[in-house]
Amino acid sequence: MAENTEAKIGVFVCHCGTNIAGSLDVKAVAEYAKTLPNVAFAADYQYMCSTPGQNMIKEAIAEHKLTGIVVAACSPRLHEPTFRIATKEGGVNMFRFEMANIREQNSWVHMHGMHDEATAKAKDQVRMAVAKAKYLEDLVPKSVPVEKAAMVVGGGVGGIQASLDLASAGIKTYLVEKAESIGGRMSQLDKTFPTLDCSQCILAPKMVDAGRHPNIELLSLHEVENVEGYIGNFDVTLRKKARGVMTPVEAAAKGIVGGGCNGCGDCTAVCPVVKPNAFEFGMAPRKAIYINHPQVVPLIYTVDFNACVKCGLCVEACGTKKAIDLDMVDEFRTVKVGTVILATGYDYIPIEEKKEWGYKRHENVIHSLEFERLICASGPTGGHLVRPSDGATPKSVGFVLCAGSRDNTGGVAKAYCSRFCCMYSLKHAHQIMEKIEGCTAYIFYMDIRSFGKAYEEFYYRIQNEGCKFIRGRVANILEDPETKNLHVFAEDTLLGRPADFELDLVVLAAAIQPIEGANPLRKKFGVSASADGWMLEAHPKLNPCGTTTAGVFLAGVCQGPKDIPDTVAQAEGAASAASIPIHVGQVELEPYFAQCMDELCAGCGMCVNLCPYSALALTEKNGRTVMQVTEAKCKGCGTCGGFCPGGAIKMQHFTTPQIVAQIDAYLMGGQ
Amino acid sequence: MAAKSYDNPELNKKLADQRYHISQSNPQFTKDVIKTSRTIANMCYQCGTCTGSCPSAPRSTYRIRLFMRRNVLGLENEALTDPDLWLCTTCYSCTDRCPRDIAPTDVIMAMRNLAFKKDIVPRNFLQTVQLIYNSGHGVPNNDVNRAARKRLGLTADPPTTHMYPEYIKGIQKILDHFGLKENADRIIKGE
Repeated sequence: MAENTEAKIGVFVCHCGTNIAGSLDVKAVAEYAKTLPNVAFAADYQYMCSTPGQNMIKEAIAEHKLTGIVVAACSPRLHEPTFRIATKEGGVNMFRFEMANIREQNSWVHMHGMHDEATAKAKDQVRMAVAKAKYLEDLVPKSVPVEKAAMVVGGGVGGIQASLDLASAGIKTYLVEKAESIGGRMSQLDKTFPTLDCSQCILAPKMVDAGRHPNIELLSLHEVENVEGYIGNFDVTLRKKARGVMTPVEAAAKGIVGGGCNGCGDCTAVCPVVKPNAFEFGMAPRKAIYINHPQVVPLIYTVDFNACVKCGLCVEACGTKKAIDLDMVDEFRTVKVGTVILATGYDYIPIEEKKEWGYKRHENVIHSLEFERLICASGPTGGHLVRPSDGATPKSVGFVLCAGSRDNTGGVAKAYCSRFCCMYSLKHAHQIMEKIEGCTAYIFYMDIRSFGKAYEEFYYRIQNEGCKFIRGRVANILEDPETKNLHVFAEDTLLGRPADFELDLVVLAAAIQPIEGANPLRKKFGVSASADGWMLEAHPKLNPCGTTTAGVFLAGVCQGPKDIPDTVAQAEGAASAASIPIHVGQVELEPYFAQCMDELCAGCGMCVNLCPYSALALTEKNGRTVMQVTEAKCKGCGTCGGFCPGGAIKMQHFTTPQIVAQIDAYLMGGQ
Repeated sequence: MAAKSYDNPELNKKLADQRYHISQSNPQFTKDVIKTSRTIANMCYQCGTCTGSCPSAPRSTYRIRLFMRRNVLGLENEALTDPDLWLCTTCYSCTDRCPRDIAPTDVIMAMRNLAFKKDIVPRNFLQTVQLIYNSGHGVPNNDVNRAARKRLGLTADPPTTHMYPEYIKGIQKILDHFGLKENADRIIKGE
C-alpha cells in the first residue's frame, strides 16, 4: 500500500501522575515519538485528561495542522470519549484519534524493576498507534431513533420501582415477571430492618400502583425468549406461559362479556388437588389452582399444570365468568423497546450442601426465608413461630451468620459477603424476643456489618433487648435424636473456649446467589457476569447501573447483594439512565460498520449466514448481486470481514491497511 | 523503658509488661510456616471454626485458633514453646471446615517441624521416634493385641515389619537420612 505522506500526527504522552511516569520514562517515549515518520508534534504532560491537557491537543492541531492524534495514556474504556471530543473541538474528525494504552497494559503490570522494558514497550505501543493513525479516515456516527418504550425484567421491589419511575416519566413500560404475581422476595418478608415496617404494608401500595399505572403493561408469568436489536430498537420476544386462567381483558377479547377472573377464589375451594406451596417453601398446602397470598398483583388465579388433573371442577365453579381454560398453551409476542432494565434478584444457595449444619437432615434447622414465613401473620402458622419437629414454641433460637458466605472453600459456598444477613438476623432476634416471652436469641457471628443509616443503632437496640452475641463461626450442628434439640458447636472466640449450645431451633442465614436462569437471560442481552457470578456493571463506581451493552441497565441484587434501600436507590438510578436515550429520542452508534466494496464483491453470499446479528443481505446493484449492510444492526465484530474470500468487506476504523500498518510497525520496529 | 524492680523475682515477673510489642513479631516465622505447611496460613480471619471443630479443645487448653493467630503475628517463641502445640490429634476436622480453605492441621505440623529444629520436642514424641526406629511401629504390637487379632482370625502379627523384621533396616535408613534418631537420642541424653 502507498505510504500516506500527507499525514501529520500529534503524539501526547500522559504521566497520569505517577501511575505511568512512576514505572516508565514518559519523556523518552515522547522524544522517541518525534523521530517517527509523519509525527509533526510530540509532548508529554502530567494529566492529559485535564482541561489544560485537552487544550494542548486543540492548540497543537491548530499550530501544526495535525491530521491525526495519538494519546498514550490509560484504557480507551476510560478516556477515549474525552480525547475524541478534544480532537473534534480542535477541528479534526473525532475518529482520527487513536489511543495507546500504556497504563493498564503496561505501567500497572510493570511496576517493580522493569523500568527499561516498560519504556521500550511504550515506544512500541506509540509506534503502532502512530502507524494506524496515519490511515485513519473521517467517519460519521450514525444516528438511530429510539423507541419510546422500556422493558423491566423482574418484578421484585427493584423492578417495580424502576417501572414506576419510567412510567411516571411518560414512558410506556413493560414489566416482565416470570412468577404468577409481582413483589418478589420482599413480598415473602414479614418485617423490614431497621424500622420494623411491615414488608407487605410498604410494598403493597407500590405493587398496586404498578398494576394500575396507565403506562405500565404488567406481564406476569412471562419470560424473555429472545432478544434482537440494539439500543433504541430492541425486539424482545416474550413467552407468555399458560396460566390456565383468563384476565377480564383476555376474556373480553374472546367475546366473553363480563367474564375473566375476578379473584373470587371459588375455583380454589373446589379443587381436589393438594400440593406443597412453593411460596411458603413447602410448609403449607396449595391447591392446583391458586394465588400466593391475599395481596397478589395481578389478582388472577393460576393453574399449576404440573399438579392439575383436569377434573374440571374449577371450570364449573367459575360458571359464567368462563375464566378458566385448562387447554391453554404458551403464547409468544414480540415487543419493541428502546432500553431495558434487568432486575432479576436472588435465590439462596442450596445450604444443605454445607453438611456440617444439617439443613434438611435436622428437622429444626431452617433457613432465614423459612423463618420469615413462620413469623409472618399471613404465613403458614399465622405468625406463631414453631419448631418443625413437634410444633412446640421455641425458647432458644440460634442464628448462624455467614452460612456459606465469606467462604472460600468452593462448591456452593460464596467468597463474598451476602450483605443483608447481619441486619435481618438482628431483626429476627428482635421478633422472637418480642413475640415469645422468655425466648433467648443467640447470634453466632464473625463480624456484625451494620453499615447503613440507623443500622448500628439497631444493633445496639437488639443487644439491649437481651440478644446474646457469640463471636464465633458455627463449626457444626448435631441433633438430639430424642428431643430433636440441636447442639450448636462453636468457639466463643472472645472467651477462647469451645462451646456446645443446646437450642430449640436454628436459623441459617444462607448465602445468596443469582436466580436460576439469570445466566441465559443476561447472555440474551449481551451482559457479562463478574467473577462472583452476579451481572457486571459498566463501572463499579462511576456507572453502577449501566452494562457494557448500550441500552441495558441493572437494578438490585442481580448486580450484587443489596438490601431494600440500596435496591430501590439503584432501581431509580437505572430508571433515570434508561430514560435518557428515550427522552433524547435518538442515539449515536459508533460507525464501526462493515462496508461492502461493490466492485470487489462477487455476491457469493457466504458472509450473510455468518453474521451473528443478521445485518447482511444480498441485493441487486447496477445489474450485479452484491452484499449490503444494515448499518444499525452491524456491531462491527468483523466476522464477515475476516472471512470474505474476495477481501470485499471493509471494517470501518479497523481496515486492513490500518491493522497491517500496526503489525508492520511492531514487527519491523519502525523500519 | 527501664523495667521497674521490686527486688522480688516473683513479683517482677507478675508485674512485667505483658503488652504485645511489634518487636516480638518475627515475620520470617510466618513465612517459614507458610512455606513448610504449604497452606495460606496468613489468610486466617479468626472465626473459630477450627477450635469449634477440634476434639482436643474441649478437654484441654489447646486452642488451634490461637496458634493460627500467633502465626499471623509471627509470635515464634510463644508458638513453639507452648506445650499445647503437641495436643493436635491430626484428625483434620478443622481443615475440612475452615471457610478460608486453610489447612490449620498442616500449620500445626509445620510449627512442630520448626520446633524440632530448635530441639523443642516433648519426651514422648522422642520415645516414639525410638520405637519406630527399633520396631517400625510408633505403637508396636503387644500380647493383648496379638490375642485379639487371633480371635478375629488374623495372624498374630500384621504383615508389616512385625512379620518381616528384615525390612526394619530400610526404615532405619530413612530415619538416619533425616538424622531423626540421632537427634532424638541427643535431645533425650541432654535433658
